[in-house]
Amino acid sequence: MLRQHPTARFILQRAGWYLLTFLVAVTINFFLPRLGTSNPVDIILAKSTGGLSAQAAREKEESYLKEFGLVKLDGHGNIRRDTTIRMVKVWDASKQASVSKPDTLIKPIKASSLDQFFTYVKMSLSGDLGTSFQKYPKKVLDVIVQAVPWTIALQLPTIVFGWIVGNVLGALAAYRRGMFDRVFFPVALLISSIPFFVFGMLLVYYFAVVLGWFPAMGGYADEIIPSFSFEFFGSVAYHYVLPFFSIFLILAGGQAIGMRSMGIYELGTDYIKYAKWLGIKESRVLIYLFRNAMLPQLTGLALSLGTMIGGALITEMIFSYPGLGMAMLSAIQNNDYPMIQGVTLIITTCVLIANFTVDIMIGFLDPRVKAGLQMGGN
Amino acid sequence: MRVSKMSVLGLPVALSALLLTGCKGHRHSSGTDEFPRDQTLYLAGSQWGDPTSFNPLAESWQAAWPVGDRFNLMYEPLLSYNSLTGQVEPDLGNLVSKDNDSIVVDINPAAKWSDGKPVTSDDVKFVFDLGRRYKDAATAFAVEFISRIDVKTVDVKGAKTERLSFLVDKKGRDNPLVILDLLQAIRIVPAHVFEPLIAANNNDLGAVKKLKLDSAPVVSGPYTLAHYSNEKIVLQRRDDYWGNAALHDGKLPAPKYIIHPIFKSNDAFAIALQKGDLDASQTFIPRIWQKFKDGVGTWYDAAPYYVPGAIPLLVVNTTKAPLNDRNFRRAMAAAINYADIKELAVSGYANDIKPGLILPFGQEGKYFDEAEAAKHAVKPGLESAKKILADAGYKAVFKADGSLDYTTDKAGNKLPTLSIKSPAGWSDWEAMVNIAVKAMRDAGIDVREGFVDAGLYWPAKPSGDFDILMDKPAAAVTPSLPWSRFEATMSSRNWVPVGGDNKMNENQGRYNSPKSKDYNPKVDSLLKVIPITTDSIALKKAYTELNDIFLDDQPVIPLVYLPEQFYEFSTSAWTNWPTSKDPYAPPLLPWVGASTKILWQLKPVE
Repeated sequence: MLRQHPTARFILQRAGWYLLTFLVAVTINFFLPRLGTSNPVDIILAKSTGGLSAQAAREKEESYLKEFGLVKLDGHGNIRRDTTIRMVKVWDASKQASVSKPDTLIKPIKASSLDQFFTYVKMSLSGDLGTSFQKYPKKVLDVIVQAVPWTIALQLPTIVFGWIVGNVLGALAAYRRGMFDRVFFPVALLISSIPFFVFGMLLVYYFAVVLGWFPAMGGYADEIIPSFSFEFFGSVAYHYVLPFFSIFLILAGGQAIGMRSMGIYELGTDYIKYAKWLGIKESRVLIYLFRNAMLPQLTGLALSLGTMIGGALITEMIFSYPGLGMAMLSAIQNNDYPMIQGVTLIITTCVLIANFTVDIMIGFLDPRVKAGLQMGGN
Repeated sequence: MRVSKMSVLGLPVALSALLLTGCKGHRHSSGTDEFPRDQTLYLAGSQWGDPTSFNPLAESWQAAWPVGDRFNLMYEPLLSYNSLTGQVEPDLGNLVSKDNDSIVVDINPAAKWSDGKPVTSDDVKFVFDLGRRYKDAATAFAVEFISRIDVKTVDVKGAKTERLSFLVDKKGRDNPLVILDLLQAIRIVPAHVFEPLIAANNNDLGAVKKLKLDSAPVVSGPYTLAHYSNEKIVLQRRDDYWGNAALHDGKLPAPKYIIHPIFKSNDAFAIALQKGDLDASQTFIPRIWQKFKDGVGTWYDAAPYYVPGAIPLLVVNTTKAPLNDRNFRRAMAAAINYADIKELAVSGYANDIKPGLILPFGQEGKYFDEAEAAKHAVKPGLESAKKILADAGYKAVFKADGSLDYTTDKAGNKLPTLSIKSPAGWSDWEAMVNIAVKAMRDAGIDVREGFVDAGLYWPAKPSGDFDILMDKPAAAVTPSLPWSRFEATMSSRNWVPVGGDNKMNENQGRYNSPKSKDYNPKVDSLLKVIPITTDSIALKKAYTELNDIFLDDQPVIPLVYLPEQFYEFSTSAWTNWPTSKDPYAPPLLPWVGASTKILWQLKPVE
């Protein structure tokens, strides 16, 4: 019944594809970090075995392998060991040559990536994203929960405002042309082509160091402990200004340029010319124009909103701003599997939800897609 | 139309105007009621990521500042080392005597935990013996050095005092020097808190190490944890700290609060110091003298600004051709332009480098024989390097533009391009590697930069998975220097070849294989004998001999001298920091060793 309905069928079909994409993405996110040669336990060990004897270092290594589920365990929770005897080459000083001897070292059986994958799926389904290696003993979920509000608070308004302001200005520039466009276009081009980090550092240097109007760094003043107080939120707002503008201006500039080109293209189309000849009100024509030129911009917005959860790494670094970006960077640098998996799981989910929403929205907004749907439905 | 345009353009302006109304001008000018600026000290540079644990039994990299490393603000060691005077200063204990059989320490009878219980030998024995009970104890390495701790009660100036004898493990490592290091590195924790905790966790130390222990910790130090978040850690003064009366003439530390903000990039430290938002820091800031006008200061007010304490160097994998040829290594050492590294890579923050592994000044200076070192060192310079290569049969082929094409060995075989593995993003190390690579290539040594993520760098080090590796061994200034620097680069004690799961935690370049016919037993015997040599003439002779072998064989290539910490401070809120003109404490942040006493000497700016 439901499948007969063209719109329902469209949504179901899309949802199916997105589910498949999700599964593939999660699998890749899991295996990709494990393809490298280094493993996180080696990194931890290198930091904590200085001065230890070889035997003590090995025992420490095994305790980590067990802790992070990288070895197989028997029913009693002990490490399962490889008891098959292998021959190894050992140097014999008396003969000045290598000789073969049975390996006296009983090595633990490492858990394969596939074993780890099943553990990961089982834990993820129960809402446990595991423990971070690098931030041990902190849970991955705790890291995400603490950082994500900052990331969203910084990114969502900048992306939404930047998008709206950029598109409105771009549409205006396309429609008005003339003096406004001649000033606006080069300025927008200039701003949008400045790299994020350069612009951010210029803001810090001028407004924080030279003028001293705004704080140079941090999400709130160091002498304040977060609470539901006017003082805390005031401090947050004050610290928000420079990071906000460092993203907002560049984003708005980029959007404006995109919108301007789309607008100029749309202006040359027959329906706009026709509407003008009919003498339809200028503002009305602009709405027509905006609606059509907006479609590709909308896809861009969805992508930005989806990926925003990953954090504004550059902004975080320049302003020492709280957020998920830095946590993600150091997780990747240190091969912190659980952390990488946890964050990419959230990013994947957000990107797919945002895209799915836009897909459906475009289905309703774009008459061509809509028509195609109806024809397919018939 | 006009209306919408106005509102669009006005939006950011309105928003910033709104936010500006809450603006206070200078961020730290007055502080808050909670943390008044004249009672709050801002220190940074130790904690980089989220603080996750304040557990003194956790591994040092796991626990946050000021619990993880050698900090003594919350948990204290028995002794403090003063790298300036070379003296061991009292903390929870007083050093009574040291010889090759034992190191004797009295527990300070005044020492108390924050719950009022006295610090006793049970606490000390608990920490030092934990490694005997649990292999995964963070202090497990101590048991290789100490065979037993004997306790007796003595009368010192009328007070009943517990006297501890740390007996040197003669059959084990037989090294009283390292025991002296351990007594100032290992912090004592309250046994009456941790024993029940271990018991409550079914005697599973792993489970106890996992606890965060971030509320109401029982500590012995002058400060305790008041608050922490991902943005900062706040400590509050303990006005009933036992050491105020016993060690500091009844004075309280000047700052009531210590805040360690957590920054995400190196630039943040420079800006915060310059703005007076930070009172002291330990990060590399290029051209620091340009910030002196803003109230920033360093130990010396002219070059080298800092006190050298450590030697970043190139660890050479001596198992790989052509790096297994000492002539090739000596050519590398000759080629490098050390003056460039000093001036360009580290802003001139160093004294001129002398041949060998001994710092020619400070506490190590007495072991350095310059005339003897000159006899064994390579002649530095491009021509000298080229000559050493040519004499050893290597031939460099240069392209028409003068750049190196390739090098061949004696047999005429083309040599592989060597790579220097170094962590990406460590800007001073990257600069050193860049300069070294350029100089070596000019001399005809085919080598390239190999900057890798920390995730590849750290595991490569013990496994020997490198041609050449940037490292800074024995980075902390301790009583066992320069022995510990030689041990870290030359000891064959745990020699294993590269490959499989083989790891070496010292001498990662696999120098002086005991399995090779070229094995030089003198190196290991000198490393064994130096820690138990007490006669100063014999000691200098042994060090000179070891340094000569080092220079002959060049197992690693020292690049420059750097300070243990880039100690830098701001006088905008607190004054009376120790400097070369007023050296009352070593040039370290007031959270480690004998530098903690800075806290009692600081004065708030009126």
